[in-house]
Amino acid sequence: MVKLNDKIEEELKAIFNGDIPWVTIVWDDPVNLMTYVTYVLMELFGYNKEKAHELMMKVHTEGKAVVSTGSREEMEHDVARLHEYGLWATLQRGDQAL
Amino acid sequence: MTDNEHGFFRHGDNSYLAKFSESEREVLTNLVQQIIELLAERVDHHNDDPLAAMVGITVHDTPPEDEVLLRLLPNAYADQVDASEFRRYTESTLRQKKQAHAMAMRMHLQEAINGEIELDHDGANAWLGAMNDVRLALGVRLKVEENSHEDLELLAPDDPMRAVYAVYSWLGWLQESLISALMDDSE
Repeated sequence: MVKLNDKIEEELKAIFNGDIPWVTIVWDDPVNLMTYVTYVLMELFGYNKEKAHELMMKVHTEGKAVVSTGSREEMEHDVARLHEYGLWATLQRGDQAL
Repeated sequence: MTDNEHGFFRHGDNSYLAKFSESEREVLTNLVQQIIELLAERVDHHNDDPLAAMVGITVHDTPPEDEVLLRLLPNAYADQVDASEFRRYTESTLRQKKQAHAMAMRMHLQEAINGEIELDHDGANAWLGAMNDVRLALGVRLKVEENSHEDLELLAPDDPMRAVYAVYSWLGWLQESLISALMDDSE
C-alpha cells in the first residue's frame, strides 16, 4: 500500500472535498508607495509590520506575491477590499501557475 | 512633534492632524471632486431589472475603456469570463466605496477651521484611499513607470505635465506623512 505523507494526504483531502485553495495576488504597481502597500496589508489582513513588509518587498522585487489563501469567496472578498484601497490585485486557483 | 512641514502628524490617541493653506485645500478639494465625478460618469444602466439594481448588480460586465477608470476599477481575474462575472456583481459597490472615501475627504476639507484637519483612524483610511485614487489617476495621465521619475523631473518648465507631476509628488509626500503617523501607533 502506498504510504501517504501528511502533505499528500492533506492535498488529496482538499481535492475530494472540492476545496482546492484559492489565492489573492498583489501585483507590482509603479504608483503605490511601498509604505502604503505595507500599511494596507497590515490594515486589511491584520499582518504585523514585519510580515506585511516582507510581502510588500516580494511584490516590489518579484512583481507579485500571494497575500492571502482561502476559499474562492474569501479571496473575492479580499480582492474587493484591496481594490477599494487601490492595490492591483487578482485571484485565481491556488494550483494554477502564478 | 511640529507640523512646520505641513504634513500629517500624530496627536494623541486616534488623532492625526495637519494644517493646510487655503490654496492647498483648494487643490485637494478639486482633485477629489474630479475623482467623484469620474466615478459618477460610469453610471449604472439597470432600468430593466429593479431587483438587480437593488442588490447592486449592474450591466457593467466589460471593463471601462478609459485608462484611469480601468486602473481604479481593475479586473479581479485574468480570465475574461470570470472577470466580467465578478465585475457585474461588485463594480457598483467598489465605485460607491471609492466615492465614499473621496466624499469624506471633501467634507473634512470643507469643514476645516483655520485650515486644520483632524482625522481619526477611519478618517485617515478614507484619506489614504482617496489620495491614492488621485495619485493612481494622475499616474496614468503622467504615464508613471518604475523608472520614469527621472524623466518626469526633467519636464520643461512650460510643460503642463510638470505642474501635474508636482501635485502628484506632493500628494505622495502627504500620503507618506499620514502613513508614518499611523504606523507610529502600530509599533
